[in-house]
Amino acid sequence: MISDADYRSVVDFLYREARLADESRYAEWLALWTDDGVYWVPATTDPDVDPDVQISHIYDNRNRIATRVKLLQTGHRFSQVPASSMRRLISNVEVTGAAGELVAESNFLLVELSVQAKHETHLWAGRTTHRLRRVAGELKMSYKKVVLVNAAEPLPNLSFLI
Amino acid sequence: MSPSVSPIHYEELVQADRIHASLYTDPRIFAEELEQIFCRGWVFVGHESEIPRSGDFVTRHVGTQPVIMVRGANAEVSVLLNRCAHRGTMVCTAARGNTRALSCPYHGWTYDLTGTLMGVPYPGGFDGSFDKGAHGLPRATRVSRYRGFVFASFSPDGASLEEHLGPATRLIDRACDLSPEGEVELTAGWVKHRCPSNWKMLPENDLDGYHLGFVHLALWKTVRTQYHRVIGEERSIKAVVRDWGNGHIEIDWSPGYQEPFEWFGGVSDELGARYLEAMERRDGPELARHRVFEGPPHALIFPNLFLGETNVAIVQPVGVEECVHWHTPMFLKGVPEFNRRLLRQSEAAMGPASFLLPEDVAIASRNQIGLHARSAEWLRLERGLNREYVDAQGRLVSHVTDETTNRAFWAHYRKVMTAA
Repeated sequence: MISDADYRSVVDFLYREARLADESRYAEWLALWTDDGVYWVPATTDPDVDPDVQISHIYDNRNRIATRVKLLQTGHRFSQVPASSMRRLISNVEVTGAAGELVAESNFLLVELSVQAKHETHLWAGRTTHRLRRVAGELKMSYKKVVLVNAAEPLPNLSFLI
Repeated sequence: MSPSVSPIHYEELVQADRIHASLYTDPRIFAEELEQIFCRGWVFVGHESEIPRSGDFVTRHVGTQPVIMVRGANAEVSVLLNRCAHRGTMVCTAARGNTRALSCPYHGWTYDLTGTLMGVPYPGGFDGSFDKGAHGLPRATRVSRYRGFVFASFSPDGASLEEHLGPATRLIDRACDLSPEGEVELTAGWVKHRCPSNWKMLPENDLDGYHLGFVHLALWKTVRTQYHRVIGEERSIKAVVRDWGNGHIEIDWSPGYQEPFEWFGGVSDELGARYLEAMERRDGPELARHRVFEGPPHALIFPNLFLGETNVAIVQPVGVEECVHWHTPMFLKGVPEFNRRLLRQSEAAMGPASFLLPEDVAIASRNQIGLHARSAEWLRLERGLNREYVDAQGRLVSHVTDETTNRAFWAHYRKVMTAA
């Protein structure tokens, strides 16, 4: 059973992470990760998919998460120059806990204005799983899996932080 | 009465050193491409390893036509139109699966795995002359395979696949022969990347060695990759482009490689030794070492198959200003221990969230906007005309940054589009 305080701190984390991603605050977003972080966006909605057998959109270890952020920070990642204008809503949060870890599942709906060429508005939606633990008193994420509702469809550029 | 429509003069739109912007923006030209290139020509559909068992199928598009590639009871591979012969309903909605028969959800017409009509519910409403044999799922007129790569054509005549590929079979060989068992396996599923541009920009860009240092600058500033030898000073770059004929074109990075496995970003001593040993058992030491040094091809098989080194990609036209780039890692049969790394490399290189293709798609999208500037009609295509040369095997070759590949693509395009 999760305490009200734990639930509140998880929701605060999810909102903060969403805001940092929306505002392309790359360094602060990167600092939310533990050293063993895994960032996964499957290319299917199949819950049984094995990322070591099937291709994903993103399956980053902590090094590759850092590379992803560094690319954006160069100012030459043209698919995000200028950065997309974004706002996402987080909802349907369910939190469980075990062995010093908090596991949060939540839905999101993201509106992205892709301003790099045609100024198209893209809608992104899905369910996210976060695994969170305290490091030196601060909640950090060790795992973020984002299952897009249209994971297996042709997707436009997804080089922002989803 | 409809107004008379003047024919499109491809020989004027495609010239030796320039091409006309309407080739990317005119819906009439797109419609003619679907007929001349994607109906009458040979088009890559999928790979046999995707449908290993009887009843296995995948759904695809050949041009904009929905198709099912399916393996029948006798291991035969058919490419069928995904369209019921009765009322035109799409028969199969799944991306892949296994089935004993193909059944239309609308009125229950049922077909076997070769597309033959087996049963029609309430047959009393059809008179005695109704011939089930004449109402199967329409089949691609010709289906042909090369080393597991399945191609289809909806024209009963024209060049054979062998004639279409010509010497470019060696590009496919170069991929397959990296497997100790001589086979690649495309079993990791596909990522699909939507690109708001004309389909031709993808193969043109995939085979353009000039843009790397600019479009992908963010990556070079961040990590060291196997491409670091091709973004230096012009005269120090050893990689080349080649024209293999019939629109098949290649970038060959290997003249710039200095070590084995550079194409793989290096490999551990233990794994490299085990792999090389398996290769030597088949090829002998000299040829095995050559293959491991040279690595996989980076080539377009005209019009829609991109052998992207350790990836295989498909270019799917959707509309005159929209296409989809599919990709999957190329697993090498006999070395499953490479698969995990190939997956991670594939995710890094291609797809909407990767470290390379989003930039290409962003630029293609800007190209598409720029080409609507009606007061400027032409795109330049002369780079390298001053230095390209014919090699001993009769192929046109030039510096990797030269537009020899693009010119070869367009020369073949013009030939196909003006064919009677």
